[in-house]
Amino acid sequence: MVRNIVVLGGNSHPQLVESICGVLGIPACNRILGKFSSGESRCEIQDSVRGKEVYIIQTGFGGNGAKLNDHFMDLCIMISACKTGSARRVTAVLPLFPYSRQPDLPYKKSGAPLFKTGSDNGKKDYTFDSVPATPAPGVPRSVGLTNATDLAGRLAHARSANGAQSPIGNGPTNGENYFSSNGVNGGGANGAPVPNGANGVNGTSNGHRHSSSVSSTKQASFTKHDYENLSTVNAFQAKPGYKQWVAQAGTLVANLLTCAGADHVITMDLHDPQVQGFFDVPVDNLYGRPLLKRYILQNIPNFKDAVIISPDAGGAKRATAIADGMGMDFALIHKVILSRRAPCDMNSRLEQERRPTKITERQNASMMLVGDVSGRVCILIDDIVDTGNTITRAAKLLKKEGASRIYALVTHGVFSGEALSRIAASALDRVVVTNSVPQQEHKAALGSKLEVLDIAPIFGEAIRRVHHGESISVLFNYD
Amino acid sequence: MSAEMANEIKLISGRSHPELSENIAKRLGINVARTISLNYSNQETSFTVGESVRDEDVFIIQSTATGDVNEGLMELLIMICACRTASARRITAVIPNFPYARQDKKDKSRAPISARLVANMLQTAGANHIVTVDLHASQIQGFFSVPVDNLYAEPSFLRHIRENFRPEECVIVSPDAGGAKRATSIADHLNTAFALIHKERPRPNVVGRMVLVGSVVDKVAILVDDMADTCGTLVKAAAVLKENGAKSVLALVTHGILSGNAIETLNGSVLEALIVTNTVPLGDKVERCPKLRVIDISPTIAEAIRRTHNGESVSYLFTHAPV
Repeated sequence: MVRNIVVLGGNSHPQLVESICGVLGIPACNRILGKFSSGESRCEIQDSVRGKEVYIIQTGFGGNGAKLNDHFMDLCIMISACKTGSARRVTAVLPLFPYSRQPDLPYKKSGAPLFKTGSDNGKKDYTFDSVPATPAPGVPRSVGLTNATDLAGRLAHARSANGAQSPIGNGPTNGENYFSSNGVNGGGANGAPVPNGANGVNGTSNGHRHSSSVSSTKQASFTKHDYENLSTVNAFQAKPGYKQWVAQAGTLVANLLTCAGADHVITMDLHDPQVQGFFDVPVDNLYGRPLLKRYILQNIPNFKDAVIISPDAGGAKRATAIADGMGMDFALIHKVILSRRAPCDMNSRLEQERRPTKITERQNASMMLVGDVSGRVCILIDDIVDTGNTITRAAKLLKKEGASRIYALVTHGVFSGEALSRIAASALDRVVVTNSVPQQEHKAALGSKLEVLDIAPIFGEAIRRVHHGESISVLFNYD
Repeated sequence: MSAEMANEIKLISGRSHPELSENIAKRLGINVARTISLNYSNQETSFTVGESVRDEDVFIIQSTATGDVNEGLMELLIMICACRTASARRITAVIPNFPYARQDKKDKSRAPISARLVANMLQTAGANHIVTVDLHASQIQGFFSVPVDNLYAEPSFLRHIRENFRPEECVIVSPDAGGAKRATSIADHLNTAFALIHKERPRPNVVGRMVLVGSVVDKVAILVDDMADTCGTLVKAAAVLKENGAKSVLALVTHGILSGNAIETLNGSVLEALIVTNTVPLGDKVERCPKLRVIDISPTIAEAIRRTHNGESVSYLFTHAPV
C-alpha cells in the first residue's frame, strides 16, 4: 500500500493499469475518459488529486477502439487536468513511447531517392537514363523490403479472385489509376499533386475518391503501411531539385508532454536513448533486458550454446549487452543495400520485377550474417517488432544458415499492419514480447508461438521507488 | 507571383479539409505546397515535405474533421514543428474550427481546460500566429501569447440574409443565452427584431426545457449560433419557435460539426434550412441532408492570409465579406 499516490490509467492498456495497481496495492483512480460525439476527447477525473503524486499510464499504441493520436491527446489532457486540479507532481508513464521511432524515411542514408522526382510521366516507359541505379517506384527500395513485397505478391495472388498480377508489376499502373480517378482534385489549375489526395487511398477520413482497383490492391498488399502503398507514394512528388524529407516528431512529442505539465516521464527501452535528452524533465528509461535475460535463463535449454543475434546493425549494442552479460556468443545480420551491388542494368531489374521469387533469393543473398549459427539455437534481440519485417527476414536467413531453433526476444510487440500473419508464416519458432502494449489479440492470433512477459512488476516497483524518492538504478541491472 | 521569390506565402494543407485549402489557394492564385501526410501502420502520423519553406511565410490550413479531431490536431502539430525545423520565417496555423473550443473553463472539479492545452501545444510546436473563425469564446485568444486573428462569419451571414430574405420579415433568435451577443450583433446590423431562447442543459449533448423570450409571430425566425454539433438544441429551439407562431424557422451556424445523428435529427425537424460555412469538412452530409446549405468561407480566410502576409490590417474583414 503506497500512500498519497494516484494511479490514473488511460484507455490504451487497461490490463497493465490494473496489474500495476495490483503491485502497488491501490485502486486505480476513477475517471471518465471517452469522446464526445464531435470526436473531441472527454476527460473527467472523479477522485481528488490535490497535493497528490499522480502517475498516468498510457502506452503508445492504438487500439481499444481509439487511435494512437487519440491516446496521446488523452494523455496530454489528463496531465493538464491533473495539473489544473492542483496535483503536486504528475508523472507520465509510457511503457511504449509514441513516435520514438520514425522508421521508414523515404530516403536512405546514402541519399538515394526513393521515389522518382521530376516529371509526372514516364512511370511506365523507363529508359536507362530515367532511372537512377537506386530504388525507384515499383522497384523495392531496399533489399530488406523486397521480401515484404514478394510476400505481398503471393498474398495478392492467393487472395484476389480475379488473379491480378502481383503488386510489384502493378505499382506504376496503380499510380496512374489513382491520378486519373483523382483528377478532380489533383489536376486542373495547378497540376500539383494535392497532398491530401493521399487521404483517399489511406481511407482514414474524408474523400474516398480512389478507384476500386486501388483499394483492392491496398487490401491485398501485405502491409497497410502507407509507405508500402506505391500508389499513395507515387501520387506525391517533391518539387524538382528539392530533396524531400520526413518530419521527425520525437522532439515534438517530448515538448508536448512537458507543455501539458508532465514533471517526470517513465518509459521503457526507448528506441533512441537520445530521446531522453529531448526532455527538460527527468526521464527514467527502464530496461526490459532483465526480463529477457531471465527468460533466456529459465526457458532456453543449454542457453550457453545459443547465439544472440542482432537483426540489424542498429540493434547491435542492445544485443551485445545481453550476450556479454550472459557469456553467450553473438552474431549480427547486416543488410546490404541493393544499390551497393554492382550496378545492374535496367533489363535485369525489370525481369526481377516480373519474377518476384527470384528477388527473394537474391535478397537473402544480399543480407549478410556475421558469425556462425549452424546447428545452434538463435536468439534474436530487438526493441520493437512493428511490421515484423526485420525479424521475419532475419529468421529466414538464420534458418538458411542452419539454425536449429529461432527465438525472437523483443521488448515492444506492436505487430502492426500484417505483422501477425507474417510472423505466423515465418521461420520463427517463438516470439517473446512484454505486455508494454496490449497483447491479448496478438496472443489469440499467434497462439503458443507468442509468449508474453509481464512488465507490471518493473513499472510498479519503479513507481513505488520514484514516489518514495529511492534510487531506481537497481532496476537497471538486476538479474 | 513567381514561386522562386523569397518570403512568399506557402500554403500547406493538412488532410482534414483539402477542399477548403484548394479554394483558398485558388483565391490567392498560388498552389498548395507539395507535402504529404501519411500514417504508418502503427498509426503514427508522418509528414513529408516536398519543397523548401526556408524563410517563407508558411500558412498551415487544418480544420478538424468530425470524429477525427485528435488525428487532425496531431497532424497539425507535426506540420508546424516540421516547418519550424525547416527554418520557415513565420508559421501561421489556420484553424477554421478551433478544436476543444468548448472545453475552455474549469466548470467542475478537475475538468481539463483543453482549449488552453491546445493553445499551449500549438505554441510549443512553433506556431507564430493563429487564424481562426468564430471562436466559441473569444477569450480563448487569451490562452495564447502569440497573435490570434479571430475572423467572423457574420459578414458572410449578413450578406446571405440580405440576398435571400427580407430583413423586415425576420427575427434573429439566439438559441441560448451565451450566443445572445452574436445574435444581437446580426439583428442590429439588419435592424430586425431579436428574440432569445433560454434553455436548461442537464448534461453535455443533452438539451433540457426551453423558454422563448420575445415574439416571433408570423416572422421568419433565424436561429444564429456558432456551432451545430448534434443539432439537439437547434431542432428543439426550432420546435419552440414554431409553437410560438413563427412562419418558418431556419438556422445560420458557423461550424457545422454535425456529429452523431445530427443529419437524421435535422431531416426530421421543423427547421426549414440549416446554413453553415465550410469551416468543417462536410463530406457527404450535403447529399444526405437536403436542408443543409453551405456558405463558402474561403474568401474571408484567403483575404486574411493575404493581408497578414502583406502586413495589412485584417479588421476590414470583421465587417465586410470579400466577394
